[in-house]
Amino acid sequence: MLCLHSSTGALVDRALDSGATYNPYGRIMRTTAARVVAATISAVLTVVLTACGGTSAPADRQLVVGVSTSPSSLDPTTADGAAISQALLYNVYETLVKINDTGDIVPLLAKEWSVSPDGTSYTFELQPRATFASGAPVDSHAVIASLQRIIDDPAVLPILKKKMEPVSSMTAVDADTVQVQLNQPSNSWLFDIAERAGIIMDPNSHANAASQPQGSGPFRLDNWTQGDEIKLVRNSSYWGTGTKLAGITFRKYADPNAMNAAMLSGELDIISNVAAPEALSQFSDKRFTVLEGTSTGEIILAYNHASPALSNLQVRQAINYAIDRKALRDSVWAGKGELIGSMVAPTDPWYQDLSGEYPYDPAKARELLAASGITDLNLRLRIPTLPYAPGAASYITSQLAEVGITATVDQLEFPATWVQTVMVERNYDMTIISHTESRDIANFANPGYYWNYNNTAVQESIAAANVAPTTAERDQLMAQAAKLISDDAAADFLWLLPNLVVTTSDVTGVGANAVSLSFDMTAAAAPPK
Amino acid sequence: MKRAVLWAGATLVALVVLACLVSVAWLPTDPNTVGTPTLAPPSADHPLGTDNLGRDLAARLLVGARSCLLVGVVAVSIGAVIGVPLGIIAGGSRGVAATVLMRGADIVYAFPALLLAILLAAARGHASTFTAMAAIGLSTIPAFMRVTRSAAVDVLAQDYVMAARGAGFGLGHIALRHVLPNVAPVVLVQSSSAFGVAILAEASLSYLGLGTPPTTPSWGRMIYEAQSFVYSDIQLAALPGICIAAAVLGFNLLGDGLRDLLDPTLREITR
Repeated sequence: MLCLHSSTGALVDRALDSGATYNPYGRIMRTTAARVVAATISAVLTVVLTACGGTSAPADRQLVVGVSTSPSSLDPTTADGAAISQALLYNVYETLVKINDTGDIVPLLAKEWSVSPDGTSYTFELQPRATFASGAPVDSHAVIASLQRIIDDPAVLPILKKKMEPVSSMTAVDADTVQVQLNQPSNSWLFDIAERAGIIMDPNSHANAASQPQGSGPFRLDNWTQGDEIKLVRNSSYWGTGTKLAGITFRKYADPNAMNAAMLSGELDIISNVAAPEALSQFSDKRFTVLEGTSTGEIILAYNHASPALSNLQVRQAINYAIDRKALRDSVWAGKGELIGSMVAPTDPWYQDLSGEYPYDPAKARELLAASGITDLNLRLRIPTLPYAPGAASYITSQLAEVGITATVDQLEFPATWVQTVMVERNYDMTIISHTESRDIANFANPGYYWNYNNTAVQESIAAANVAPTTAERDQLMAQAAKLISDDAAADFLWLLPNLVVTTSDVTGVGANAVSLSFDMTAAAAPPK
Repeated sequence: MKRAVLWAGATLVALVVLACLVSVAWLPTDPNTVGTPTLAPPSADHPLGTDNLGRDLAARLLVGARSCLLVGVVAVSIGAVIGVPLGIIAGGSRGVAATVLMRGADIVYAFPALLLAILLAAARGHASTFTAMAAIGLSTIPAFMRVTRSAAVDVLAQDYVMAARGAGFGLGHIALRHVLPNVAPVVLVQSSSAFGVAILAEASLSYLGLGTPPTTPSWGRMIYEAQSFVYSDIQLAALPGICIAAAVLGFNLLGDGLRDLLDPTLREITR
């Protein structure tokens, strides 16, 4: 290759020496003729380009958002992976009620709602003007059809079906009123339908939801390039106060440093969550705004309780004592994010600080391990290819080695291979993953979840909290469940993923916190340019 | 001065081998032990400082030489053990057999090692040093086949080979007795160049997360992990980068030097 170039180069040199111009097709042109043609072309181009540029008015902005993961389907009810809801929830798909930036439930498609005194009957008054992007009305029939689909459609994820289990019947009282009857009171149900279990789809779009989402939000899908980007554009017939943006593009960057570089070069307008926090200082100049908020993404060292060694409480506790979570967070995530100690984010009403339950104590870890009678412990730590995992895995492996536990690290491509191997086949001992759904502590009461965790005390506490008559009693029962989970070392709760959003300084309306699955751009604005 | 290239190459290679041997016998500290201080400058405890997890940089660089040599040796062995016999067979055959072999080599040659590594990683469920070595090894086969074949064709046309054939010896005997000793210098030179390519490929694969797993120190992976610190702590990326450059340059110079030494006619032609 090199040879070919140099010989071509020599030819060109010789030709040029003889007073000719080189052209790559091998013909030698006379210098003057070539110059005349080139000058004419450039003159024409200059005129055309100046004419185009001179008359155009500032255009509405298509904001480009950098994200770390991309979805394998666009239907959040049949496919897992936070990337789908991140782009589509609230932006394209709306729900009856939504979770706002501070974690509270606020009206969306339901302008108001009431609950019967016994807590078993919910009546939603729909926004009378609401329509889907197709123009079809969002009426009580469309709402019931969407919610009924979660219950009936076998393709819907079991985790979402579970959220609809309390529902016994749904009635269209009139075109704008829906009444939902529950089997028993549920404190979590309204919260559960504020995210993907409660999305209201255009009734005509159910069959094609995996590739052509049709909702009632201020944006609609324009184009999806799998593995690369999701382009949303303004829904010009939006029923509410619409967006001023031309649209939003969610673009995937597998490498956090590439994403930072794209932001610095002006290719991006927003980074949804900086995944290389040690490089955050790059955005300290006035071109950028850095928002440091909280999220609901608990990064956990998950245990497979079906693995013989990890079904032993002493082994799990030994691992929890062996890991210095503060030093881990400081080294791997530049000290950003809170230490939590259980599956509860500080934005949840039943939060209590359990981060001191397992202080770093290698001697105690060795003692517990010896007491368990298990020697030569070798565990498979199968991690996803996500920014926080390799660093955390290296740290944990080193600290476990100090107490005599060998952890073998395998890095699995995320989402496809990791989800299949760890969540579906459960072929793992430990993994490191962030659980981003809000109030997802209830997964510890689900023995069918990928942890194979079966603790009746936890299940009873969470079930009792769900039907508790007052929020104070609910919070007390949930706090009790969180403590039980921590005492039982059901997992090691490493740290809470901080929400580190970077925007260009002219972008407004982006929330600092990520307390729902959505990257909510409905209030975002940027001056046209 | 005549053999300056050879000596320069041999010195650099010797340094890498020495680092590898030292790492087996002695290390300043365990290369995977995390702790404090993190991102520390050089000190008595940590001769080259520490990385963001508090791991000793010097220890990791020394152990990185092991991954580098291991991948090089295994990948080049795969290439030579499969490529050389196939090259001799291709040199000794005529017609369809030779065409099939050499066009097959062209197809493998056109297939990027990186893609092969991704496919192997996908097939095995995860990327590892093994998949990286196998992918690099397989992709070096065609180069070994080509150089061996062209040398073998020359040898097989010699009178003494004709004589051996006339005396009734088969291709197996001729290959072992006459062809192999004569193609050995070419294979040696090719091995040295392939070694450099393999080291670079391993570094690239590790950089992309398709090579050695996070807990095994590897120069390519160290650069990957240092990316976020390139503005604040340049040494984290620069030191493994220098190691890779020195190793690749060393093996390439050694290859060139050996070629000049073993095949003087070739040296005259290239000058």
